[in-house]
Amino acid sequence: MPADPFFAVAGLAKHFGGIHAVEDLSFTLARGEILGLIGPNGSGKTTTINMVTGALKPDGGSISVEGTDMAGQAAQLFARRGVARTFQVPRLFRRMTVMENLIVPALSDASEHRSSAEERARGVLAFLRLEHLAGEYARALSGGQQKLLELGRALMLKPRLLLLDEPFAGVHPKLLEQIIEHIRTLNRDGHTIVLVDHNLDAVQSIVSRVLVMARGRKIADGAVAEVLRNAEVVRAYTGSRAGAQ
Amino acid sequence: MSYFLLLAVNGLVVGLIYALVASGLTLVFSVLKVVNFGHGSLYMLGGYASYYLISGLGLHPLLGVVGAMVALFVFGVVFERLVIAPMYTDKVERKDEYAIIVTFGLTILITNLALVVFGPFAKSPPSFMTGALIAGPLILPYDRLIAAIAAVVLLVGLSLFLKRTALGQALDAVSQSRESAAVIGIDPKRMYTVAFGLGSALAGGAGALIAPVFALSPSMGDLPAVQAFIIIVLGGMGSVGGSIAGGILLGLVQSLGVGYLPDPNRALAYTQAFGALLLIVTLLVRPTGLFGRSHLRLE
Amino acid sequence: MGSLSVSRALQAVLLVVALFLPLAAGPYWIHVGAIAWYYAMLAASWALLAGFAGQFSFAHVAFAALGGYASALGVSLLGLPPAVSMVFAIVLAIVTGALIGALVLRLSGPYLALFTLAISEIFRLILVAEEDLTRGMLGLPVPGLFSGQSDVPYYYLGLALVVAALLAMNWLLSTRVGLFLRAIREDEGAARASGIDTTRYKILVFVVTSVIAAIAGIYYGHFIGILTPNIAILPEMGLVIAMAVIGGIESLPGAVIGAVVVFLLSESLRAYGEWRFVLMGLALILVQRFAQNGLYPMIEQWSRTRARPRAAASVEDRHAG
Repeated sequence: MPADPFFAVAGLAKHFGGIHAVEDLSFTLARGEILGLIGPNGSGKTTTINMVTGALKPDGGSISVEGTDMAGQAAQLFARRGVARTFQVPRLFRRMTVMENLIVPALSDASEHRSSAEERARGVLAFLRLEHLAGEYARALSGGQQKLLELGRALMLKPRLLLLDEPFAGVHPKLLEQIIEHIRTLNRDGHTIVLVDHNLDAVQSIVSRVLVMARGRKIADGAVAEVLRNAEVVRAYTGSRAGAQ
Repeated sequence: MSYFLLLAVNGLVVGLIYALVASGLTLVFSVLKVVNFGHGSLYMLGGYASYYLISGLGLHPLLGVVGAMVALFVFGVVFERLVIAPMYTDKVERKDEYAIIVTFGLTILITNLALVVFGPFAKSPPSFMTGALIAGPLILPYDRLIAAIAAVVLLVGLSLFLKRTALGQALDAVSQSRESAAVIGIDPKRMYTVAFGLGSALAGGAGALIAPVFALSPSMGDLPAVQAFIIIVLGGMGSVGGSIAGGILLGLVQSLGVGYLPDPNRALAYTQAFGALLLIVTLLVRPTGLFGRSHLRLE
Repeated sequence: MGSLSVSRALQAVLLVVALFLPLAAGPYWIHVGAIAWYYAMLAASWALLAGFAGQFSFAHVAFAALGGYASALGVSLLGLPPAVSMVFAIVLAIVTGALIGALVLRLSGPYLALFTLAISEIFRLILVAEEDLTRGMLGLPVPGLFSGQSDVPYYYLGLALVVAALLAMNWLLSTRVGLFLRAIREDEGAARASGIDTTRYKILVFVVTSVIAAIAGIYYGHFIGILTPNIAILPEMGLVIAMAVIGGIESLPGAVIGAVVVFLLSESLRAYGEWRFVLMGLALILVQRFAQNGLYPMIEQWSRTRARPRAAASVEDRHAG
């Protein structure tokens, strides 16, 4: 492992009152790696994503992005550092157009001009096959299109690290294939990606490494096939269905 | 000392009335998540409703109060169904803004309607009971005593209603989580209607109770409305106990302030400004208020 | 394209009418018009603050009072020349606007409204209380800007200020700042996740709109010749809100037109006493209920469907006005 990993989380923790949503979480990512973050409901995956993108302040631990500890900083600082995320339920700027939704993240960089932002946006729209929707209001898009736009917005940040929170949730099977293909392409192009989702088949088809969380802790981290055979992992999934939240 | 006692008791009476007004407002906020900017006009309507019920139907003044509460309950229900209910659908986009504007529109509409219909001159409804209670240095007119006692009864009744009855607990459930309440079979929309009606009734009752003491005028609701806003923030949105504590505090501050500060103009202005300052400090330092629930969404 | 020119054409027509009004109307209506410009500035800047940036502030008229009183007191108490005093008042508005904008960062919706209402009340009550300085309810006299008795110069000054304010705000909205403000209003968390420093822009829009309100207050003081704390009472704020909402809370020209129409109507209906405000309250509720974006955008929408039957609005149309 290189001395300064591309992305590293150490001892990360978040408590809500008495609940330890995330406890002592540590892992590293190499540049260009793609990691699947899985676990039953309530295992702390989204809380982790929130902390690692500045939406939540951790109660402990460090978050290193290319060597710099950014734990506790504001969300927009993470975004400008190239840590981009999508939300489980797309949080688009509903009464703005698709084009406007895309150029906003680009323009948050003061040195980027409107014309280059729009050009890049057209590129992203072409990649997502959504060019015909450029002038539409975001709220007029279908659920699947909104998910794609959500991804597009993250791409406009020129991301070094992409965190995708449930990109497959509630998505039509045909669109699912398209999204899987997009993510594969992004990884092939060198993007470092963390993928959180419940759809294990979809996740498995893309990633080779998986990190499993349960009850706020990491319980396994390694190659997909091994991890899914891990007894503790199996118990975490079946146990949580029977147990209370 | 007797001066202090006099001021304190009067402050307590006014404070309990403020608490009653605020309790209605806090109930509406906790269940509907809407601050009713028209709450003051409901207080004023209650006073006039009582007046006309007494003079028109010859009711006993206390029955006039009851009648006013019933009338305002109905009014609240109608307003909620007609104007507020559309907010729950996706037809309304900016819901917070919508609620503020329509309830503000309510106050403009009702206050000015009262000006044209009832006229700007103060009216005085008959007393509940003439005379005064004299206990040592203390002289307390029976009207004020009765108003205070009735306010306490209503506030205690409200607390018990919310904690002990099925309907009250349903309201509480919706105030905590609309979705969870729906899952266990409570219809949130019906609870919204009930809460708004109840909140309006409480404001109307307060107006009816204080009318013999301070007389009626169309603008009588302006000051109590601002006090109610201060109280619900200070005491905590959704907390009846907080409304009571906040109301008494404000009533006392106002009474003692005006009584003890030398310059009457400054005294009046600064005692009111003090309340506003309390609101600001509370929102900055402890936004959930003294007794509020921390889960209430602030952003 | 058709609708954009219809909208612009309408505004141009109204501007021409406004320019030539003093030639046709008597002194009463010129006076009314000059006052209407005061409300137009307040309504338009409030629309930017509340409609575009989503900050539902009840402190707007307090900033007008701040501007008016600071400018007047700068001359009478501090002995500053009038122009310097106006600058002083504007600087005060910038500082206060930034301060309040910073204080309300974490508030939204009714909390923001209540907080700003409390601030407005405190300021107003101080003006009432400190009569020695402000002459309280008796009123603070403010010297006129122009010699002579005519209101016509004030009318044109007011019109110029309204146009300047509109141009400035429109320019701001056309830049990326405008996009950021709208994004913040749509979803502040998502805006932050998109790299926007929401704090900076929320404070910025507070400062800009407070300055416009302060300028309106300075104008009003010099025009009417006297200032009382009553320009900052809640019903005045309500009037500004009603004007912006009825005209169009997300449309700057809509807010201006709303202000002028509402004020002109309320003046022409004076004979009916308080019924005009009953009507206003009713209009406020009905417009919110049935045309939440205000009447001017509705008229724009209507003219759009007339100009182009297939109403697929383009990006430019959205920036109309």
